[in-house]
Amino acid sequence: MEKTEATTIEISESSRERKGKAPLLAAAVAHDRAASGYKRGVAIFDLILRISAATAALAATITMGTTEQTLPFFTQFFQFQASYDDLPTFTFFVIAMAIVTGYLVLSVPFSIVCIVRPVAAGPRLLLILCDTLTVTLATSAAGASAAIVYLAHNGNSDANWLAICQQFNDFCQRTSGAVVAAFVAAVLLIFLVVLSAVALKRR
Amino acid sequence: MGGLEIGSKISGSAPKTGVNRGVAVLDFILRIVAIIATLASAIAMGTTNESLPFFTQFIRFRAKYNDLPTFTFFVVANSIVSAYLVLSLALSIFHILKSGAQKSRVVLIFFDTAMLALLSAGASAAAAIVYLAHKGNTRTNWFAICQQFNSFCERISGSLIGSFGGMIVFILLILTSALTLSRR
Repeated sequence: MEKTEATTIEISESSRERKGKAPLLAAAVAHDRAASGYKRGVAIFDLILRISAATAALAATITMGTTEQTLPFFTQFFQFQASYDDLPTFTFFVIAMAIVTGYLVLSVPFSIVCIVRPVAAGPRLLLILCDTLTVTLATSAAGASAAIVYLAHNGNSDANWLAICQQFNDFCQRTSGAVVAAFVAAVLLIFLVVLSAVALKRR
Repeated sequence: MGGLEIGSKISGSAPKTGVNRGVAVLDFILRIVAIIATLASAIAMGTTNESLPFFTQFIRFRAKYNDLPTFTFFVVANSIVSAYLVLSLALSIFHILKSGAQKSRVVLIFFDTAMLALLSAGASAAAAIVYLAHKGNTRTNWFAICQQFNSFCERISGSLIGSFGGMIVFILLILTSALTLSRR
């Protein structure tokens, strides 16, 4: 007896609630559609920034990797030559920026998945984690090379280190340009992280 | 059926808020660890001062952190990051109390990422110079100063550890903030 009473009460409640739920559901669907449109715009901007950062990182890698300057004079025994692999920091720079370029190119499909499915949180979380690691790698490479380039330009009297840029002009210009490109890539990566965070927000 | 649905919704959101609060407490603890690490790095690098026991009539052989501008940048960067972390503790406590805040979490992620970049640039620049001080470079004729200044070299090498530890903590902080954002 009590069971049948309980079931009749439940049925009447649910029908009343169903009538009251309809405008709420419609509002929720419209809200979701607006949110997904906004997130789609953010994802498209993310893709554009990603391609720009990949271009900057590629430019940095190639510029540093192809530096080689031979001075026009030479003694009887050796020729004065400077190349990126004379300094281990520049070798680290080339390898690190190559990894950054490769990661950015490989993450373009994930970014496209985020455009197609704007509300999904999984790909975006993966992107924000890998982007943070890549920010670290890119700024690390750029910072270390900036220290060596500064030393090459100015030297250091206390440590008795000569400024090699006074002789190797072209080499110095190319390495400085590569460091600037790496910093540009790092700044773009920071924007990418913030963009992913904004898109993860549930409105 | 409707009553059961409402009941399940209420019971579903309570553990979610609890986990978010736990993650916010973890965020606070990680921030304190990072403050200790970066402050220790700045102090260890900033108090380097080694004088060699011999000297000529004109020059005294001395090594300090501000003889190399990169190390000055390292000390300044670590100090800035330490100060930022102390200031962001307030925001972290706010997130523990009010787990539903979203815009402030995005602002926190932005500043955390910027500070991570500054810290990593400073730490890796100092690491490049420390490597050069240890090994020297024959092609550019840069002499390895560590062969003379032993304790100076040990201090500057050790101060890098705190900075790199701070970098790892920052990555964890950004990840936990992003996870909390996506769970609401």
